Amino acid sequence: MKKFLFYSLTILFFLGPAVLLLFKSVTPVWKWGEPFHFNWTSRGWESFFMDPRIVQALSLSLMIALVVTFINLWIAIPAGKALSHTNFKGKSMIETFLVLPLFIPVLAAALGLHVTMIRLGIANHWFGVVIVHLVPTVPYSIKVMKAGYDRLGSGMLEQAKMLGARPFHVFRTIELPMLMPSVRSVVFLIVTISMSQYVLTAVIGGGNVITLPIIYYPFLQSVDDTVMAAFSIAFAVLPVVAVLIVELVSKWLRTNMSFRSRRSS
Amino acid sequence: MISVLVVIIAGCSNDESLSISDEEIQNQSFEEIAESAQGETVRMYMWGGDEGINQYIDEWVKPKLQETYDVTLERIPLDTNEIIQKLETEKRAGQEDGTIDIIWMNGENFKRAKEGELLFGPFVDQIPNVEDYYDTESLDFQYDFGKATEGFEAPFGKVQFVFHYDSSKIEEPPATLDELMEWIKQNPGKFTYPDPRDFTGNTFLRHVLYGKASSVEKILEEPFSEELAAEESANVWTYLNDIAPDLWREGQAYPSTLSELDRLYSQGEVWMTMGYNEARGEVLVEDGIFPDTTESFILEDTGSIGNTHFLSIPYNSPNKEAALVAIQLMLSPEAQLIKLKPTYWGENTPIDIDKLDQTKRQDFDSIDRGDTVLEQEHLMETFIPEIDATYVPWLKEKWIDEVASEQ
Amino acid sequence: MKWHLSNRSFLLLIPALLFLLMVTYSLILAFVESVRGPNGWTLDFYVSLFQERRLYSSFIYSLSITFFSVILSVLIGWGIVRSCHAMIENSIGKWMIWIPMLFPHFVWGYFVLLVLGQSGVLSSALFQSGWIESRDQFPIFVQDKRGLGIIITYLWKEIPFVILMLLPVYVQLPKQYGEVIGVLGGGKRHIFGTIEWPWVKPVLVEILLILTAFIFTAYEVPALLGVTYPQMASVLAYDWFYGSSLEERSYAFALLFIIAAIMTLASLISFMLLNRQRWLLSKSQHSR
Repeated sequence: MKKFLFYSLTILFFLGPAVLLLFKSVTPVWKWGEPFHFNWTSRGWESFFMDPRIVQALSLSLMIALVVTFINLWIAIPAGKALSHTNFKGKSMIETFLVLPLFIPVLAAALGLHVTMIRLGIANHWFGVVIVHLVPTVPYSIKVMKAGYDRLGSGMLEQAKMLGARPFHVFRTIELPMLMPSVRSVVFLIVTISMSQYVLTAVIGGGNVITLPIIYYPFLQSVDDTVMAAFSIAFAVLPVVAVLIVELVSKWLRTNMSFRSRRSS
Repeated sequence: MISVLVVIIAGCSNDESLSISDEEIQNQSFEEIAESAQGETVRMYMWGGDEGINQYIDEWVKPKLQETYDVTLERIPLDTNEIIQKLETEKRAGQEDGTIDIIWMNGENFKRAKEGELLFGPFVDQIPNVEDYYDTESLDFQYDFGKATEGFEAPFGKVQFVFHYDSSKIEEPPATLDELMEWIKQNPGKFTYPDPRDFTGNTFLRHVLYGKASSVEKILEEPFSEELAAEESANVWTYLNDIAPDLWREGQAYPSTLSELDRLYSQGEVWMTMGYNEARGEVLVEDGIFPDTTESFILEDTGSIGNTHFLSIPYNSPNKEAALVAIQLMLSPEAQLIKLKPTYWGENTPIDIDKLDQTKRQDFDSIDRGDTVLEQEHLMETFIPEIDATYVPWLKEKWIDEVASEQ
Repeated sequence: MKWHLSNRSFLLLIPALLFLLMVTYSLILAFVESVRGPNGWTLDFYVSLFQERRLYSSFIYSLSITFFSVILSVLIGWGIVRSCHAMIENSIGKWMIWIPMLFPHFVWGYFVLLVLGQSGVLSSALFQSGWIESRDQFPIFVQDKRGLGIIITYLWKEIPFVILMLLPVYVQLPKQYGEVIGVLGGGKRHIFGTIEWPWVKPVLVEILLILTAFIFTAYEVPALLGVTYPQMASVLAYDWFYGSSLEERSYAFALLFIIAAIMTLASLISFMLLNRQRWLLSKSQHSR
């Protein structure tokens, strides 16, 4: 019963909208009061693929999102470990400060970041865009990774160390496999956030960096529901593709890693 | 990671091109400019939310520019206010080597750009097509929303404000502001206008101002002042408050953008919509968004505000020569003719038809702009220019105090 | 605390601290914008903001919408996770919950308009089936004075977020302890108080803060689905930011910084309270 209720509600509220949007992207504008009829139109998707740069924009968005994710992990895994497994003066303060970027309105941050990027010489460059995408993402990944280490507990790691394992070895064979659920969450969250950044990408990329939101955002103000639905769907599919890529890579890495069988679970 | 950063920074500072100074460009003839522009790339920044406009640039202007002048055009979709913000920040940070070569804009944005000294110029008299085909004396080009253009903007297009209505529901559209009020009272809930923070909504307010001011000449000629504006607009607020109870949602909510109003119209929730560009209904009818029975009208007593939109070059454009060449092409009669056809854009041209030779003039005259577009003559008769750009934010603020917060 | 320990923590934190440095530097630059007038430094923009009456109604409106959206999404999301976490974790349902996360807020707002507007899908379907005779009979959900449409959109988008944040906590909740307490005769309330609550609370506070900050400062959804007056403070800031004069931009920055300051203060206080308790908790754990 509970299962039935849960599934019908998730299908209705979560799957339903996506299906409706998909359906809308291939049918002409619906008029109120008219009975539903099935006329198909390819207009929505045609306008999506019309822009000659769409493929380029797609791959650039993906690349930026993946680099952002990578840097996020590079920042968040050690930080999560430090915040979870070690104790030092001012720890809670640092922890608090690391979340604060989330509380700053994007518009306020955008200008300051733009000036910073100009001074660093990476404004109007994809790498500058990567750097600013860190602002709305890093606090999340640190949160998630810290929570991951909290659950992992320091006991097992210390045991391994006492048995003489080298830190990197411990990391690869124990920490990383056990942290995989957290890493997966980070990848998904960060890719989604990075791919939907319009304001920051527009300001810092300054038109040199054409990502998908740059092309498709203006169309969201269209009165043409068909076109709008097509762009929305295309947009939502991207993070899924990115996550699949990461999943495949990590699977490949894991199967090629030694000591996999010794992993405790 | 740090080393990656360093490599990239180094890479960035390397490709500064050795460009000649602005003054030198301004002293060159167009032939010299065209020669040095060869093989260059020009990046045109423009709002990208209209497929027809995008296609016009990508499918017609771009190949033509390549073919005629060997210049590559890149269209960058970005909101105009975003572009201005970007330039302002670059100016403050002292970045002399920018990325934008051409901006498409007018009105408030131009005012902000010109006052912030974000533009290169004057350059317009260096464009041969302007001299040849445009009426340079015309007030339309000398002023952009009351702001003197002084050669910092080249006229690219011209549009007029019209109302659209569904002729299957309305037999005879209102012809004056008072008739409009009467119609609204008889058909409660079937009319509204976008929030004046939206450009179109603000233009609707300016029409009411033209209709209700003691004299249109006065507000057009005298410079903006709080006193004058307050005095002349008194009846505007009375009018808007009078119609408010019979508007859509009883005036509690206004569509936040024009596309919201268009959506209401396309669903038949309201029976009229409005907008700049007298031909914008064409493609919407064709795509089945607006009803087939859509037609347009103009209020006789207010007239129809028309404005020109322009092309400018930012102060830190890395390729000013190529930008000049591209502007020359986009202002040519050929380019303007294609732009006027409903195939891509359907928008009117600022060209002075009298300056064209016989065949070209015929080409322009013979274009069928579509059924939803009013006769050119009618449009010309009712045309009135824009007022000082300062009115735009002033009306917006005042409207909130006088109308929105009263409901 | 030993020195080498904190040294090692420091090493681990270097990347994060570099990140923090960049953000702080950028913020200082932006703050300068809000105190730089035409004639040198000035606090005028802040002063005149406080004299603006419209701003107060905006703040109250923003606060109430934020409050309802946040509280409801946390309560509903938490309720779902508590009762169904085992089911969600191991099923395709988990993937379905991700779906709303994939769409930007703006798209979701548009979707709500599409479905719940007076000319929307639902209204049309009710008309088709004869339940209502005209669209005026369909209740006003979007662009209403109470901000219902905004709250619905946020609930729809944020409940999945709450679920996904809480899910890992519940999945890894040490169930053995619960059994121990059960064996020792402790009741359900006891289990909740000693096991579930301490684990869940920090995450809950974080979710609350993140959502509050986000909803309070985002402008896309209220701009689309709100009424003209009152207006959320974030929409006001956005309008000013892209307004026609440089002065307006300075007002926008001042407003944005007031918002940022309120949020920062609120989060600092909550974290401080939380950390004190967590510190006590960890102390008691160590003595265990």
